[in-house]
Amino acid sequence: MRTLGSDPERFLIDFYTSFTEDLLQTDEDAALIVDRYHTPDIVEIADGHRLDRDRLIAHTRPVRKNRPTLRMEVHDAVAEGDRLAARYTLHSSQRGKDLAIEVYFFGRFAPDGRMRQAHMTTRSVPVQGSGERGQATP
Amino acid sequence: MTVSTYSVTGMACGHCAESVTEELKRIAGVTAAVVDVDSGTVAVTSDGVLQAADVRAAIEEAGYELRTEQM
Repeated sequence: MRTLGSDPERFLIDFYTSFTEDLLQTDEDAALIVDRYHTPDIVEIADGHRLDRDRLIAHTRPVRKNRPTLRMEVHDAVAEGDRLAARYTLHSSQRGKDLAIEVYFFGRFAPDGRMRQAHMTTRSVPVQGSGERGQATP
Repeated sequence: MTVSTYSVTGMACGHCAESVTEELKRIAGVTAAVVDVDSGTVAVTSDGVLQAADVRAAIEEAGYELRTEQM
């Protein structure tokens, strides 16, 4: 797995892309996949909702069922030590619906690239836009 | 009016809640569905008594799993 290094934007995209691909393109036990990308004490707080390892594993079921297509558009990403802060838009299509969710992300990662902790605030933005004012839609 | 509460696994955020709510509201007779992501429950308000199979199917259609109906 890629380490945080000097390209936090690439690191974040690769992290989520690879994690999602492993879930959607293999039948591997979801717990093994979650553990490959997260430390055992992982805690994610998303819009105030707390996700630990068990809840993260449970959340892989709808991901596998709905098989979303995902594209990340990273607007800002900075890293210092084991910490990464980013603002990105997650473009998703699932169950016949297109979604665009802008995410404000603060995370900590282990030296081997596994996520240890993340805090996220999200908001839905218009699908045609990226949430980035003035930016053209690709 | 009947309010039934169900335990649902796999919900993580407000976007999960929206998906579950949307499917439950498609069931005939359902007038409201209120999800509590942190407790993993959804309270469904309906005009009459709902069939458990319909509720299960709606939740599974959204991708989640109905664990129990709480009395």
